[in-house]
Amino acid sequence: MRDEKTYDAIVIGSGMTGGWAAKELTENGLKTLVLEAGRSIVPEEDYVEHVPPWEVKFRGMRDRHRQLEDQPIQSTCYACDEWSAKFFVSDKEHPYTTEPGKPFRWIRGRQVGGRSIMWGRQVYRWSDLDFEANLRQGIAIDWPIRYADIAPWYDYVEDFIGISGEALGLSQLPDSKFLPPMQLNCAEMAVRDAIARHFGGERVLTIGRVAILTKDHRERAACHYCGPCERGCITRSYFSSLNATLPAAEKTGRMTLRPHSVVHSVSFDRRTRRATGVRVIDAKTRAISEFHGKLIFLCASALESVRILFNSATSEFSNGLANSSGELGHNLMDHVKGGGAGAFIPGGQDQVVFGRRPNGIYIPRFRNVKTKQVEFLRGYGFQGGGDREGWERGIAQTGFGPEFKKSLSRPGPWRFTFNGYGECLPNHDNYAELDKEKADAWGIPVLKIHCAFGENEYAIRKDMSIAAAEMLAAAGARDIEPFTDDDPPGFSIHEMGTARMGRDPKTSVLNSYNQAHDVKNLFITDGGAMVSSSCVNPSLTYMALTARACDYAVQQMKRGDL
Amino acid sequence: MNRRDALRLLATGAALQLAPGNLLAALREARALLGTQTTVHTLDLHQHATVTAIAELIIPRTDTPGATDVRVTEFIDLIVTEWYDVEERTHFLNGLADVDVRTQALFGRNFVDSSPGQQTQILTVLGQQMAEEANALQDHARQYQDSPPEPNKNFYYMVRGLTLRGYYTSEAGATRELDFQIVPGRFNGCVDVRASREDREN
Repeated sequence: MRDEKTYDAIVIGSGMTGGWAAKELTENGLKTLVLEAGRSIVPEEDYVEHVPPWEVKFRGMRDRHRQLEDQPIQSTCYACDEWSAKFFVSDKEHPYTTEPGKPFRWIRGRQVGGRSIMWGRQVYRWSDLDFEANLRQGIAIDWPIRYADIAPWYDYVEDFIGISGEALGLSQLPDSKFLPPMQLNCAEMAVRDAIARHFGGERVLTIGRVAILTKDHRERAACHYCGPCERGCITRSYFSSLNATLPAAEKTGRMTLRPHSVVHSVSFDRRTRRATGVRVIDAKTRAISEFHGKLIFLCASALESVRILFNSATSEFSNGLANSSGELGHNLMDHVKGGGAGAFIPGGQDQVVFGRRPNGIYIPRFRNVKTKQVEFLRGYGFQGGGDREGWERGIAQTGFGPEFKKSLSRPGPWRFTFNGYGECLPNHDNYAELDKEKADAWGIPVLKIHCAFGENEYAIRKDMSIAAAEMLAAAGARDIEPFTDDDPPGFSIHEMGTARMGRDPKTSVLNSYNQAHDVKNLFITDGGAMVSSSCVNPSLTYMALTARACDYAVQQMKRGDL
Repeated sequence: MNRRDALRLLATGAALQLAPGNLLAALREARALLGTQTTVHTLDLHQHATVTAIAELIIPRTDTPGATDVRVTEFIDLIVTEWYDVEERTHFLNGLADVDVRTQALFGRNFVDSSPGQQTQILTVLGQQMAEEANALQDHARQYQDSPPEPNKNFYYMVRGLTLRGYYTSEAGATRELDFQIVPGRFNGCVDVRASREDREN
């Protein structure tokens, strides 16, 4: 193919936010190049959600030795299974380093669609409780935006992606524009009712809010409840860039999507103070080429985007492009998880679920909302849910023979689990830098990540296990097992904060429109922009910020300011 | 032996004409030629028969297929060969040999040659010991359904785990014994067990 070298805009990354940048910029008339480091995904060939277990070699036990060899980090993610391991990177080709005693799990997907192919699909709006927290508590810096700034963009994004959920009217968790909610199951309804009785409305159990269609929406079909969304979806029922935004961008005729394009760095013109283009290594041939654009959108993920900027250092920006503040790579956050409880819910032996719902329950934040908690700042929400135990319960039993077999043909007792996801405070000492001693498979220096949870996160995790056990007790559960697992940062796969927004160029990398203070035609709209972490899943906010930043950039271009 | 000969050997039962000593060597050679087409990897014929007998005792054929019908032993052999590490493989094979040691001591014959009652007696004892070991471990850690199980030192636990997985993830085990449907088409969070079966049949 003839390789055009000059575009109106270049988007780096084709995942959750890159797809939105591609859609918004092309729909606004810009000829846009989308660079993706990984391969193309062909849904008809690569999606494997309907491949049954008897058609995979290890029947769901995974290709263990290959994973130990090639994906020791990635395979710690539940979704990196025998079907979907191909959507996760090779740790050998994509190394990174950490400090001894400070593990960080960096789960990555390099392909067209990025991690939006196997994401968790949970989508929640932030509120002013989140946007104002840093200011009120004197932590880090203030967000330069408030809920009113982003609310119309939540509307805009939600209208396109389709979100199912239940409206609750809670101030700490504003409602989205919902499609009909998925159903709770029998055990979940029982637990919901018990929580309503025992916690005076402070704690509320609702169905998870998910970017999965419960009815046909914008030429995408309603969910058919096969279950494992992380393996792809041939009916495009859950949102991914591959299922929705990239096709929309493609439809404009103005997108050039270039897979196997590993971005090395962004080039910068000292005289014009503008980024001029992007240096790319062909993942297959290793050939180096350069593309030019008037507008550069970094959408490669919080850590990859700053890695690119570190590798773009100039004599002026010796610590990384657009890093006059010195904050680039710092304030790395990820939601603290690992706290919760599990138990059996008595009864309901004659009731089962029909279909596999790719969603669980949600309990919105209830700590430090109306009443102040002394043990920690901010709060957490619970995900989880109930289900009847399957045949696996028979392994540890001692029975065998016809009666045993018959007993396993029926589902077991109802099991219920709460898993907390808690807010992580921004901390300058949690950061990523270039490790100049180590390079990836393409010779590009890798990141060294320094990150650890602090006292507040540990206090939150402890409280999760107590509060979860309280709710299970209220529901009459038995064999309640609270847990506090030492999951390292990174494992919620919500890494963010490495190129934060702010009003002051001395303390922040981006302005309130995700525009680099130092380089006006450079935007970072992935998780890097976040100033605090809230406790809710962040993708919806990344998408809304991306659409908002694109609108701003296009207006600026039209006015001749860019 | 070429690939065609190997296929013929495996497919036509021509192997049965060979002396037992040469049979395994010939089968191994045939398997090596056929790569992933093979059905037996680590287990010799006696081990294969013993595992098959244990698996069929755990999940027998009833009005639905049993472990042998869905070739659970082939799956177990695959795991022992390609999934276990050396230590686990050794542990599994030693545990398997120990089953014969037990039947020899009690009944003077190998497990496969023991009566159904004798076999039942052995599995009952293995189950008791497994439960005692599990209680001693007090391991209450619950795992994701599809995550690799922790290496376990109890042979009976290992073989039960592989038998159940091999059976319930087979097509017959999943769709005829359980109600697994690839595309359910809808979700209902709370239905009566019987209504669910009718749903499925309609």
